Amino acid sequence: MITQYDVIIIGAGHNGLTLGAYLARSGLSVVVLEARHEEGGGLSTEELTYPGFLHNVHANYHTFVDLAPPVSDLKIREHGVQYVKPEVQMASIYPDNTALVVYDDIEKTAASFARFSQKDAETFLRLYKEAHGYVDLLLGTLMFEPPMSVKELTKALSVFKVGNRSQFLSVKLRKETINQFLDEHFENSKIKAHLAFHGAVCGYGNNIEGLAIGFPLLVGKINNWHLSIGGSHRLAHALWRDLANHGGVLITDARVDGIVVENKKAVGVKLQDGTELKANKCVVSTVSVEQTFLEFIDRKKSDDDLLEPEFVNKVQNEILHQSWSLFSVHLAMSQAPNYIAAEFEPDVNKAWVVNLGYDSLEALNDDWDVIAKNGLPDPRPNVAVNSLYDPTDAPDGCYTGLIRQFAPYEIGSDGPAAWDEISGIYGQKCIDAWAKFAPNLKDEAILKWATYSPHDITAKLPNMVRGDWMMGQITLSNMLDQRPTSELGGYRTPIKDLYMAGSTQHPHGFITFGPAYNALSVIAEDLGIERWWREV
Amino acid sequence: MADIYTQQWYEEVKNAINNKVAGMKKLPEGTWQIAIEIVGDGVSPYVLQGQERHFLASIDQGTCLWYKEIDDDTEQQDQKIKLDYRFRGNASKFDEIAAGIMDPIDAALGGEIKVKGDMRFLLRQADQVQALLEAYSNDVSTDWPKGKPPY
Repeated sequence: MITQYDVIIIGAGHNGLTLGAYLARSGLSVVVLEARHEEGGGLSTEELTYPGFLHNVHANYHTFVDLAPPVSDLKIREHGVQYVKPEVQMASIYPDNTALVVYDDIEKTAASFARFSQKDAETFLRLYKEAHGYVDLLLGTLMFEPPMSVKELTKALSVFKVGNRSQFLSVKLRKETINQFLDEHFENSKIKAHLAFHGAVCGYGNNIEGLAIGFPLLVGKINNWHLSIGGSHRLAHALWRDLANHGGVLITDARVDGIVVENKKAVGVKLQDGTELKANKCVVSTVSVEQTFLEFIDRKKSDDDLLEPEFVNKVQNEILHQSWSLFSVHLAMSQAPNYIAAEFEPDVNKAWVVNLGYDSLEALNDDWDVIAKNGLPDPRPNVAVNSLYDPTDAPDGCYTGLIRQFAPYEIGSDGPAAWDEISGIYGQKCIDAWAKFAPNLKDEAILKWATYSPHDITAKLPNMVRGDWMMGQITLSNMLDQRPTSELGGYRTPIKDLYMAGSTQHPHGFITFGPAYNALSVIAEDLGIERWWREV
Repeated sequence: MADIYTQQWYEEVKNAINNKVAGMKKLPEGTWQIAIEIVGDGVSPYVLQGQERHFLASIDQGTCLWYKEIDDDTEQQDQKIKLDYRFRGNASKFDEIAAGIMDPIDAALGGEIKVKGDMRFLLRQADQVQALLEAYSNDVSTDWPKGKPPY
């Protein structure tokens, strides 16, 4: 067995596989180590209910398709991934059974907004068109390049007088919440709730200071949500194929015991089964900061000054994780939802994703308060029926359903394990909340269901610490070159030849490919790899 | 005064940029190879619809060393010129920028001129880039009536 590689990558989520594929294409020998039995990390599709019902356990929404360079560089589609962009992307159904719809066609979306407020519809259209214009430029700069500092960005925005050129983008947004942005520009509470919920589903809490700075970009790609036919795991397969086609190796069931450090340089990885792998050039971790520096680095055996105490203290105590997680219910269904709101807006029955019940920013804020106190809010979930656009994900005539509910990692003072007791009860409440808006979803319409709690998230994927599916809170202080700490913000680490390239890094979690793509630039610079990607 | 896209006009652009740079205390760092792709859009008479004109320029420490029009990308590839930036847009938009009636930053932010390359470098040297853009937009004379292209 070959035990020597140029690069060893820990973690075969989409970032580990993406980085591995680029480096393998660059002629390096690469091994990607995965603790689980299969590659993919958050790209997990399983038959949780009955055979034939394909449930996306984690990532379901692919919002960076054709925006992220790896999709074309690694020929994802040629490796078997088929994306569909649903014509009716998302809807919000309100307690009075009115509904707002986001279409692929943005003019139709504005018409739906206009049923609630003509002024807001016009504002939305201006915001979308302005943001959509600079999505390419800013997204490329802010997400698919190693990060600049907030100070540098602020200065550039100021010199180029972006505040004068744009109605919506300005330097002052770095001190505002999304709520403040929405209150400033929009008047209708239902429209504001929809836009805020959309942000929250993307990990941008509406009540966190500074996140307004990223909100226009979220709106600029509000209609770029894609579904992976046959399940999100198809993307993991495609990335693995590209890695393998270029000589890269994936080893599953490879549990890391430690990163081997000699003379303050990372030189290999030791597995729990005793196997030792040597790294000629570097080791890259795509798992959590805590795993990497508290579990994988043997600080007792290493040089005393390998890691500064201040850095270790930061890793132990100051890594910012999302203060809320997601509780999921995966359903095998014999019927698609038939919403009462279809009388108001027939297209809600065609909506891929539906937000249920939030009709004001206050309602969202109230639930954040409950969750912050480790309480369970009355469910107002976000639901998706992939089968409406992917006939392969359920047996003929059946549907696969997904309920996602914002929830705390710990419940009360009972800790995360309390989820094991309460998941069934809360799951039923979530289903009832859905059926309140779609009364046909009762009895024989639900064939079987399975829950997946915040506790389950961390149990399955330990890199998602405390149920943190974003692998690090999105806040201004945890963005750009400060994510996840100032020492690690540039993908390098205090240990030479050890890099970080997972969702702990800029830009953040979600299927962005960004951490891997940006770490690639840094590693290429350090190793002197000629870039064949990012052709200007 | 020169008609746009003529040899004389490009010399004036080069001189305007270099004069601006000569007056700068802090110069833009590094050497950039730039491609400019002007796409005929049926509006500008300078590039016919369905046709494109491609230019290469080399900027060193903010100073324009050379520029030239090339037939197509083959010439660039043959000479193994590694580009740092590529600017691409409709001819009428480039005309409007040259006439000073469209701001180049607005054009880039609005997606009317597509920019490829490492934007961080341009953002970090925003002061210097702004000065160069002003030279292009405001310091070059054309034989157009002031404030608009002649069409």
